[in-house]
Amino acid sequence: MSRLEALSGFIRPKITMWRVIVALIFAAGCYGAYARFALGLHQSTNLTDGQPWGLWVGLGTLCGVGISAGGFAIAAAVYLLGFERYRPVVRSAVLLSFLGYLTVCVGMMYELGLPWRIWHPIVMWNRHSVLFEVSWCVMLYTTVLTLEFSPALVERIPWKGLRNTYLKWHHELLIGLVMVGAVLSSLHQSFLGGLYLVAKGKVDPLWYSQYLPTLFYLSAVPAGLAATIMAVYLCNRSLNAGIDPRILTEMSQVIAPLLYVYALFRGIDLVTHGGLASLWYWREESLLFLLEIGLLVVAPIILLSQKKIRSNPQHLYLTCSLVVMGFIANRLNVSVTAFERTSGYHYVPKWTEFALTLATVTAAAVAFHYAVRYLDILPKKQPKKWIVENAATA
Amino acid sequence: MTKTKAILIDITKCIGCRSCEQACKQIHGFPMQTEAKLSATALTVVEDHGDRFLRKMCMNCQDPACASACLVGALRKTELGPVTYESSKCIGCRYCIVACPFNVPRYEWTKLVPFVKKCDMCYARQVKGEQPACVEACPVQASIVGWRDEILEEAQRRIVLDSKYVKHIYGSEEAGGTSVFFISDVPFEKLGLTEMSNQPMPVLTANALGDVPTVVLVGGSLLASLYWITNRRKHVAMSEAQEAASGTTGKSERS
Repeated sequence: MSRLEALSGFIRPKITMWRVIVALIFAAGCYGAYARFALGLHQSTNLTDGQPWGLWVGLGTLCGVGISAGGFAIAAAVYLLGFERYRPVVRSAVLLSFLGYLTVCVGMMYELGLPWRIWHPIVMWNRHSVLFEVSWCVMLYTTVLTLEFSPALVERIPWKGLRNTYLKWHHELLIGLVMVGAVLSSLHQSFLGGLYLVAKGKVDPLWYSQYLPTLFYLSAVPAGLAATIMAVYLCNRSLNAGIDPRILTEMSQVIAPLLYVYALFRGIDLVTHGGLASLWYWREESLLFLLEIGLLVVAPIILLSQKKIRSNPQHLYLTCSLVVMGFIANRLNVSVTAFERTSGYHYVPKWTEFALTLATVTAAAVAFHYAVRYLDILPKKQPKKWIVENAATA
Repeated sequence: MTKTKAILIDITKCIGCRSCEQACKQIHGFPMQTEAKLSATALTVVEDHGDRFLRKMCMNCQDPACASACLVGALRKTELGPVTYESSKCIGCRYCIVACPFNVPRYEWTKLVPFVKKCDMCYARQVKGEQPACVEACPVQASIVGWRDEILEEAQRRIVLDSKYVKHIYGSEEAGGTSVFFISDVPFEKLGLTEMSNQPMPVLTANALGDVPTVVLVGGSLLASLYWITNRRKHVAMSEAQEAASGTTGKSERS
């Protein structure tokens, strides 16, 4: 009992601390939402005509979608390629993507100047616009993800007949959904890079390339897998999930070659486009470029080549966080840094921009936490859960 | 596209009186104070470049990047030439501002119901056969309006006849050609009119969008065939296991 008391004493303040942090973030987010909707974009952001897309697009949309790439990759690996050993993490990967897309949809509501017209692209078409294709990808893929994830919720429906009918029907459709999802998600990742094609001449040559769609796709898959590894690791550590760490090690062995492919493609592209030449002038852009490449490519490739790091879950987690940080650096560089020289405006987001994005991401993290706790997302370590539950009530 | 309208701005003639600015503000109902840069309440401004004045406005491109970018088609190249903005369609994504190679569209950042603001060459007036307000207001004909091919001819005539002119019509080819032209006796870069590719910007995305059907077809059939192989393998493995199982049971029965 003393052990349990010690455990509860240890856990209680920890939970309280996290809850306080989450509450503070939500409070800041509420103020951010008030500033955005009651005072306007001018009061809530540092956006200007020189930098019309800032943190909400660069971090909220580009990274939110990118990090959600794990869902389609794992689902395709298990259902289409038959890598059964990844099956235990499918649901967590799909959940991560589903919540990622929800944050993107919510983000749109404060990013758009006239959010109540968000439905316009359904009836007003311009097929020459990359953003039009992006909007349809968001709508369709969010629907697909909702359907892919739905069994975890439907399983909780108390009416057996309805539950079984739905699950049977879902089983029939699943392979089709996974295929459609893989194609839609691939298109979506690429289109986000494609958004910047039209802005040639405004985007710094270190980042502009006619192959931006391909580069966005090639970087999103390893970043999405890295984010999935991070999420599963955290579930193992704090939510009593019982995923064999060797699965994470195996997943990380896929990330390294994907990063190689990306590095090779990016390198060739930079050399052939002459973007590399501008690296020799010492500018802020060069520094941010090196930071991005270091975090996204160099450090993870070196670290993942070490068996010691791959097989240690904690080290693996930290390495994956480097990949995700490098990925975020890349997207912010493309969407913000690359425009600064041509626009002549040094954009630093207002704190309310950070607050709203952080609150949205935190909401997704909280949702993930409760989904893993109360739904059948990951296999659980039963005995440990019993201790924790008892400790919580003690 | 048949005949389209165009404006020629002759830098050598502009006296910097700002009548065009005032006329523009008046017909749009904007506050009358002078502004240094294009804004949501200044769709044309006369920039002071020392001894020359540059009147900036939307170039109303022949193949506009903004119109190709706009996901709901709020921005449109009209038959008459001007690029118009239908505010009732706009969702406020601001992609047009990202896309514009001339950095023209402005957003009403301070408003709670914000729209995009840019010059549309007074489309409504031109449809009625009237001149754009700025052109009409110009006391020295530094700006003139007319059919695009005739205006280009006039610009060509001026730069050929007078040796003081730079031998280029800015806007004739830039970004695939525009509906607003500048001719000048000082280099265009000095006025902030930067050199630009002659390729229309929408071409840059057309290739990527053209690949979509291929990606869907190839990707879809690749995934389908991979699934077929996986499924086939499973079946083979299963029937082999069954055979092996029946084999062993057979053996046990015999013994």
